[in-house]
Amino acid sequence: MKLFSRILLFCLLQTVFLLNSNAQGGNAEPWSAKQLLDPAELAKTINAGKALPYIYCIGPSAVIKGSVDIGPGNEKSSIEKLKAAVSKLPKDAPIVLYCGCCPFRNCPNIRPAFSLLNQLKFTNHKLLNLATNIRVDWISKGYPVAQ
Amino acid sequence: MRMKQLLFLPAILAFLFSLSVSAQEQELKTGDKAPDIRLPTTAGDTVTLSSLSGKIVLVDFWATWCAPCITEQPELAALYKKFRNTSFQAGTGFEIYGVSLDNKKESWQEIVNKLKIDWIQVSDLKFWASPVAATYAIPELPYNVLIDGKGMVLAVNLHGAELEKFLTLIAVSKE
Repeated sequence: MKLFSRILLFCLLQTVFLLNSNAQGGNAEPWSAKQLLDPAELAKTINAGKALPYIYCIGPSAVIKGSVDIGPGNEKSSIEKLKAAVSKLPKDAPIVLYCGCCPFRNCPNIRPAFSLLNQLKFTNHKLLNLATNIRVDWISKGYPVAQ
Repeated sequence: MRMKQLLFLPAILAFLFSLSVSAQEQELKTGDKAPDIRLPTTAGDTVTLSSLSGKIVLVDFWATWCAPCITEQPELAALYKKFRNTSFQAGTGFEIYGVSLDNKKESWQEIVNKLKIDWIQVSDLKFWASPVAATYAIPELPYNVLIDGKGMVLAVNLHGAELEKFLTLIAVSKE
């Protein structure tokens, strides 16, 4: 009986731990799974000429058509530039950030930039899901690029 | 019968299309001929990969915005020093042909100077939009291809101790 209650307690603690880590995003990234935007979806919006979100490049080069070059998100000057760029936007403005230099695990730019928008209490900002890089996940798919 | 054949037509066409797409994006493998590269150096003059014919060449794709690439440069410098004048089974001498995927010349030049990189450096400064990145179907950086004196691929994406071991293995003697 004692053993059973210990197992029960262990299971309860495990559940609490899992729920807590999921609430924090599991992998402790500053974005949630829902905040990852499918590149195909953004490409469709750009090609359709619909109302575009504010698209900011926080990587080495603004490859995507209609995007604004902020500069690498790991540089202090870029963070200041991003801060200035979004300063007059309403908190629920649709914003898309992208880098595309490297796979997410190696990218030094996306986390500081996304964290800034979290800190500034934006509610509708997304990270473009260029999980490998912009060549593989955007250019090679024929999605719209800046001229 | 003809109707049945027609039903299969879209599937056949889709299959052929997928083959052509994957062919465009296929990474090189051992035994393939490495496509020639013709790009400008930091000084602005053009150096082709094929001009290094006869030597064992490491085509090193890198960029200053790629942290693991920067870490690797001193390791490449050590290999360059060690094998530069070595005779190999399939070539004489070892050269590195560094292809930068940078888009800012100042950043590229600054790191080349800072790390005292003394092998060939070329770039079209087009970042991932560089046509050479598509030609070589580079999945991510750092990435390299080792080719023999005839431009045939000997190995793909070897780094660190693995690369050194491979070069030692194919070396005949040090001049």
